[in-house]
Amino acid sequence: MSATIIAQAEQAKSTSAVVKRRRTTSPGLLFALPHLILFAVFLLAPTIFGFYISLHHWHVLAKTHPYVGMANYSAALTDDIFWLAVRNTFYFVILAVPAGNLVSLLLALGLNSLRRGQTVYKVMYYMPVIISIAVVAVLWRWLYNTEIGLLNVYLKGCVTGLRHIGLPLPPFQPVPWLSDPKFAMPSIALMSIWWGAGGNMILYLAGLGNIPDDYMEAAQIDGANAWQRFWAITWPLLRPTTLFCLVFSVLGSFQIFGQSYVLYAPGSGPARSALTMALYMYQQGFSEYEIGYGAAVGYLMFALVLVFTILQFRLFSQRDDIQPKARRAA
Amino acid sequence: MKRFLRERQPFHHILMAIVAFLFMAPLLWMLSTAFKRPDDIINSMGTITWWPHPFTLENFKIDLTKAEEFPIWRWTGNSVFVSLAVTFLVVTVDALAAYAYSRLKWRGRDQVFAVLVATMLVPGQVLLIPSYLLIRELHWFDTYQALIVPAGAGAFGVFLLRQFFMTIPVELEEAARLDGCGPWGIFWHVILPLSKPALAALAIFTFMGAWNAFEGPLIFTDSMSMRTLPIGITIFQGRYSTEYGPMMGAAVLAAVPVLLAFLAFQKHIIKGISLTGMAGR
Repeated sequence: MSATIIAQAEQAKSTSAVVKRRRTTSPGLLFALPHLILFAVFLLAPTIFGFYISLHHWHVLAKTHPYVGMANYSAALTDDIFWLAVRNTFYFVILAVPAGNLVSLLLALGLNSLRRGQTVYKVMYYMPVIISIAVVAVLWRWLYNTEIGLLNVYLKGCVTGLRHIGLPLPPFQPVPWLSDPKFAMPSIALMSIWWGAGGNMILYLAGLGNIPDDYMEAAQIDGANAWQRFWAITWPLLRPTTLFCLVFSVLGSFQIFGQSYVLYAPGSGPARSALTMALYMYQQGFSEYEIGYGAAVGYLMFALVLVFTILQFRLFSQRDDIQPKARRAA
Repeated sequence: MKRFLRERQPFHHILMAIVAFLFMAPLLWMLSTAFKRPDDIINSMGTITWWPHPFTLENFKIDLTKAEEFPIWRWTGNSVFVSLAVTFLVVTVDALAAYAYSRLKWRGRDQVFAVLVATMLVPGQVLLIPSYLLIRELHWFDTYQALIVPAGAGAFGVFLLRQFFMTIPVELEEAARLDGCGPWGIFWHVILPLSKPALAALAIFTFMGAWNAFEGPLIFTDSMSMRTLPIGITIFQGRYSTEYGPMMGAAVLAAVPVLLAFLAFQKHIIKGISLTGMAGR
């Protein structure tokens, strides 16, 4: 492959200027080809093939895979467990995305107003992002242990302390972080926020860095306090960053898989409270071997993600077309 | 005093340090547990001891000496090899392609690129089932190819590098052409040297992504000797689910190499995030 390219380049070098120009236009496809082949085989083809599978009754062990049309889709749409997985996934997105972005933004604001020592904190806040979800979930299973986990022990300390100084709190009950269906998704969301907040923090920090200091100084001279400066300058100018972060957080959160898989194993939690769409697809495909049905669940997930992405981009472009221009004019 | 408060910001630093402790606490607790005796962990009942006393390497011994049950060295080796191979493949293939989409003109270029961009919206998990069948069909199941080659298909790196390549002034390219460079020469002598930050960012993030990859290795491999570290950790958990000492020992073994690499490269990583808009995952 590369030998041909080099040969071509050598050849191009030795030919006249006119021919050279023609040569420079020809090898474009050649440069793109290695990626294009991988892309076609391992991305484009599976995307289309997945849809084809979803139209068939496809059991891994069966010899034939009869065409069933949209039957897998209608089966999914009338499947209570599928809807439970959809609800759980939405619940996770609602719990994790706004709170996670708020944490990232607050961290970035805190760092941005620091005169020195930014890097040390930045590194510490970012550290969890580096770690694989398997390690994160195994670690948090230990933190969430009802009897001797770090969280409950410290919470107990806090509650007992507050009762000592006379606050009318009920005696501490250990929080069943992982064993109670009510707590499953909130626990997963808390863990995920810790895991991911540092990533968006860096993006917010970059966004804050792009806001010209003059604006802040001008507002300060006009007597605006920190709160007013935030709402009048920082927040509107940060909007492109905010929406970028939100879109990608939502995209990522809809695909939540590893958290539930490692914390709860494939069964997926008390009363299936941690079952997500991606996990249900995995269960159907790789535990039940109903690959056709699993593929249909995957495609429904794809459709949902697509709708939400388009929706967000709509919001995105509308607001952003106006914002920066208005600012520049002012 | 007022100047001290304004310039040194002591309260601000105290607040940031408390938050930093909250972020670091789970990791420190992982480290602390890994060096404790199993009995001390179980009998801790309601007290938190941050400094292990007595200090022991027992957990690591358990983790590392059961090579037949848990080939953790092999898993580490697999993770290192696969991540390096994926990084090399992605950076090479994506740089070549990005050059073709940004600097060369050819028939159908823009249409092909539009398809690439459109597929970036396909969630990776939709591909799991069809890719699994494809890998089976290729007889790649439970091999290194299965873990490495499909990773080169993504369009994100192409998109990213293309954006970067387009900012390189055309004049440089023309000067190189006058000096007798063909498209390959321009790519090699002009575009690549000027794109080091973008290439480095892509390499670092691809490596981190491959190192932490979970779904792919879970589905494309099934023998103990082909697993990578993240999957190995879940195998550990299946066996030691309530024995937190060996569990945290294994978690430390899996996490410490990447954390050290992060500390060494943190400047580039953090710069890379702002440069690329990749939040690191």
